[in-house]
Amino acid sequence: MSLETGEDVEKLEKLIRQLHSLHSEISLLAKKSPNDAVNAFKLKLINKVLQAGNEVLGDGYKPFADFSLFELDDLPSNSDVTVVLTQYIQETEGYRSDNIVYSPSEHAWVFQVNGSPSKFETNPPK
Amino acid sequence: MSSGSLHNTRDGTILMKSFLIDYTAQECCQLGIALTAVEVAKVYEPGKKKFLPVRTELPVHPETKKPLLLVPKRWLRHTPYINYDDYFREYCPQDDIVHEGEELTYVKVLTYNRDNYGVIDFYVREKERTFEDCKNDPLFTQIPIISARRKLSVIKKLPAGKENGADKAYEKAIGELFPSLLYPYLDFAQVQARTDSGVSIRDLIFYNSRKHDFLAELLKDYGSRQITMEMKNVQKIEREHIDQLNRYLTDDLGKFGILITRYPLKKTEFTRTIDLWSGQRKAVITVTDADIEQMVEVFDSKQRHPLDVIIKKYVEYRRACP
Repeated sequence: MSLETGEDVEKLEKLIRQLHSLHSEISLLAKKSPNDAVNAFKLKLINKVLQAGNEVLGDGYKPFADFSLFELDDLPSNSDVTVVLTQYIQETEGYRSDNIVYSPSEHAWVFQVNGSPSKFETNPPK
Repeated sequence: MSSGSLHNTRDGTILMKSFLIDYTAQECCQLGIALTAVEVAKVYEPGKKKFLPVRTELPVHPETKKPLLLVPKRWLRHTPYINYDDYFREYCPQDDIVHEGEELTYVKVLTYNRDNYGVIDFYVREKERTFEDCKNDPLFTQIPIISARRKLSVIKKLPAGKENGADKAYEKAIGELFPSLLYPYLDFAQVQARTDSGVSIRDLIFYNSRKHDFLAELLKDYGSRQITMEMKNVQKIEREHIDQLNRYLTDDLGKFGILITRYPLKKTEFTRTIDLWSGQRKAVITVTDADIEQMVEVFDSKQRHPLDVIIKKYVEYRRACP
C-alpha cells in the first residue's frame, strides 16, 4: 500500500500522534496496575484509533491478521492494551519508513505520494 | 438483638466499661445469650481512680474468644444527623474561612457563620434533602477495598488441598469476598454447608437480580433464577468435581454454574465442560485465582465491575463451544 493523496499523509500523521499519546497514557496505568481492566469509555477511544490504524495500514502492515479491535466483553487489561499499541506503533513506523524518501532539493526527508517525493516533510526513518 | 448492638471490646480505656459490663450481663440474661468467665482489661475503678483488670462473665466472640460488650441502641442514635462537627468537617467553605496554611478552628468557623448565615441555611437544606441517605441497607454491607485486598492475599497464600483446614479457610474467604465483589448485581448470597455422601460441600448461591443484561440472558438461556457457585480448593479439578456441579444444575436451580478453583482446568476437564453445553445446554465456567485477582483489581480501581470478569469467562467459554 502506498500513499496516494495528501489526505493519506495527514491520516498517517494523525494516527502516529494518537498511537503515541495513547501508549504513553496507558503504559503509565500499566506500570501501576498491569492487570487492571480498561474502562468502557477508554476502550471505545482506543478502538477508534485502532480502527483508523487498520484502515491506514491495510492487510500488508496490520500487526495481527486475527486481531482488529478490542472486545468490551474480553475485559482487556492495561498491559494487554500496551502490547497491542506497541505493535501498531512499530508497524506504523515501518509503513512510514517505506513511504518516505530523502529529497536533495529540499534537504529533508519527505513523504512519497503516488511514487514521487511530495512537499510533506517528515522525520528520518527510526 | 432487640435492644443493643454487638461491639468488640478493645483495650482502650473506656470510662464507661463497668456500666457496659453490667448492662451486657443483664441483657444477655434476658435474651438467653450464654456467658463465659473472662478477664476484661482496663476497667475504671472510681474508688481507686485507676484502670484495673476485672474478672466477670460476658459473652465471647465464637472465633476469637474475646469478650463482647453490648451498647444500648439509643446511644448510637444520640448523634443528630445535622450537627456542627459534620458541618465543620465536610461542609463549611474552608478556603473562605482561613488562609492557606492556617489552622481551621471551631471559633473561626463560628465567626464566619455569623456573617454568612446562608451557608448554614444551605447545609441544613442539603441535609434535609438527602436524609434518606442515612438509611442503611439492612441486609448487606459491602466489605471495603482494603479488606478485599486482604482477603485476596489470604486466598493466594493458602495451599491447595485440605491440609490444616485450607479448604475451609478458602471457602470462608471466597464466601466473604464474592458477595461484596458482585453486589449489587448478585445479591442475597447464601453460603451453605451440607453433607452429601459423607463429603462436606459448600456452595455459594446468589439470587439472580437480572439487573444486568448478562444476568437477564442467564435467566433466559439457562433458567437461572439463582447462580450456583462451587468452591474447590484443589490442585487439579477432576472429573468428579465437574460431575458434582453438574448434578446441581437442574431445571430448578438453573443450568449455569461457576466453578471457583485455584488453577485453570486441564484440557480434558475443560472439554468435559464444553461437552455439557453440547449435550445438555448446561454452562460451567471456571473462575481461578488470576480471575479473582482481576476482580479485586477492578473492584478497587472501579474502571469496570467485577461482574465483567465473570462475563469475560463466559464469553471465552462460549467461544470454545461448537
